[in-house]
Amino acid sequence: MSLRTARTLTAIYLLLMLVAVCWPGAVPASRIEPTVFGLPFSFFWPALWVAFAVPVLFGLDRVERRSRPGGDRAEGGSR
Amino acid sequence: MERWMFITGLIGVYLLVTLAIGLLAGRKASHSVAGYVAADRSFGLLVMYFITGATVFSSFAFLGGPGWAYSRGAAAFYILSYGVLGMAPFYWMGPRIAALGRRHGFVTQAQLLVGRFPSKGLSALVAVLSLVAFIPYVTIQIRGAGIVIEAVTDGHVPLWLGALVAYGIVIIYVLASGAMAVGWTNTFQGIFMVVIAWTLGLYLPHRLYGGIGPMFEQIAAARPELLTTPGLAASGDPWSWGAYSTYILVSAVGLMMWPHLFMKAFTAKTDDTLRRTVILFPTFQLFLIPVFLIGFSGVLFPTAPADSDFILPFMILETDLPWLVVGLFCAGALSASMSTGDALLHAAASVVVEDGIGPFKTLSESTQRLLMQVLVVLVGGLAYWAALGAGSSLVQLLATAYGIVSQLAPPIVASMYWRRATTAGVVAGLLSGWATAAFFWQNPALKPFEMHEGVLGLLVHVPVLIAVSLATRAQAPDHTERFCGSVEDAA
Repeated sequence: MSLRTARTLTAIYLLLMLVAVCWPGAVPASRIEPTVFGLPFSFFWPALWVAFAVPVLFGLDRVERRSRPGGDRAEGGSR
Repeated sequence: MERWMFITGLIGVYLLVTLAIGLLAGRKASHSVAGYVAADRSFGLLVMYFITGATVFSSFAFLGGPGWAYSRGAAAFYILSYGVLGMAPFYWMGPRIAALGRRHGFVTQAQLLVGRFPSKGLSALVAVLSLVAFIPYVTIQIRGAGIVIEAVTDGHVPLWLGALVAYGIVIIYVLASGAMAVGWTNTFQGIFMVVIAWTLGLYLPHRLYGGIGPMFEQIAAARPELLTTPGLAASGDPWSWGAYSTYILVSAVGLMMWPHLFMKAFTAKTDDTLRRTVILFPTFQLFLIPVFLIGFSGVLFPTAPADSDFILPFMILETDLPWLVVGLFCAGALSASMSTGDALLHAAASVVVEDGIGPFKTLSESTQRLLMQVLVVLVGGLAYWAALGAGSSLVQLLATAYGIVSQLAPPIVASMYWRRATTAGVVAGLLSGWATAAFFWQNPALKPFEMHEGVLGLLVHVPVLIAVSLATRAQAPDHTERFCGSVEDAA
């Protein structure tokens, strides 16, 4: 995946998440049923978006690191 | 020996371990200002991860979070929703800020702003308002520590004494070791908090209701209004979507603008450390799930605490847990309070000296360090005094402070990404944004859709910043290039 695609997809995910956890995206999720792992759906919904952000950000990081010259240790200054 | 004595003893041990870690850490740092404020830019991934997590999760999350879940139900889910949105842009912004810091020697946020937009007034303005936002934040932490200790020792250690001892220790290690102590104690405290939160969050629903599912089934039958977003307002009436959504928005925009979090970009050892902290941050965010479960477990409990912020210690004491568990919990809650309180005190002192005084008077390195240490004590004392009196909800106090802090986002973004921004534009934007937020904070009835005053401030701020910048003379291209151009060569 190119750097550009990875950045665009991450940005899209974050924008979708913003809409999903606020009005109006959170309105259809504002319900008790169905429960997931015992949690009411209104609780599970934001938790799902947070949990899914983990693989999204990991994926972005993989692509970003591959695209930097010399791998992940090339930049960073004094140590 | 009585139960409370065992608990007090355990807390004493915990506090001593924290103090020891804090003092030992300082022996590794240089005595320069960069050493005190930015720990010689030396933190690796593990430390950075827990510093960020432990700093973000304070008494606000550990006590206020369950308090909101208990009293306002689904309204608390806003706290779960904003963290990732606020943190993610730092994946790109963080390394850029760090590079500019190394290139120009910045250790605070205002130095970055003033580097791009030269104005002593701007520096002082940012310093003063940061301090105004910090005081209630420190107050929350001190009050949280005091009440937890008072609650679990059956009142044998009163609030004033508990808060004094806990924060006395914080002040000692911050004075002695600066950023190094904050980093290493937070690593210890961060691990502690995560373990305690998950253990209790799973244990309490099982013990009281036979599981998480049965607990929510019973709440759904008795109080269904608690389980649908946007939950309830403080009054007990339904909360509005306008308020719920803009609380998420203002918190996401403001999160990394808190000087104590922003300055982490200057303490990271490598850019990769910063990026990975961002990547791992959602895992810390999920720790709010058990925290909310603790609050929900109190909803159907036959008795209630005097104040919803204390539902967590209340539940622990009412369920007759063994003293060891109670003591460990107390240490976890203290961790939450102290790990944020230390970073806040440290950042407040650094900001006042570097940004409020630095631009107006040249001070030697040793004078600066001394002045910061005096300020740590002063700010701590002021917040301690406020903590003995104050009585607003912990979450509400912090949400209000976000109205001020979120206004720092437009100038920070403009300083690094918009070449056409000018000093006049940034100052005009900040003043108009703060004035608007203050106006709606004073007149909540006038807020459209009950929107958070910070978001209303931003709605005025951003257009003013753009319009005034375009109406004034652009900065020299070689000047803007140093901030908006490629920063990779700065290393």
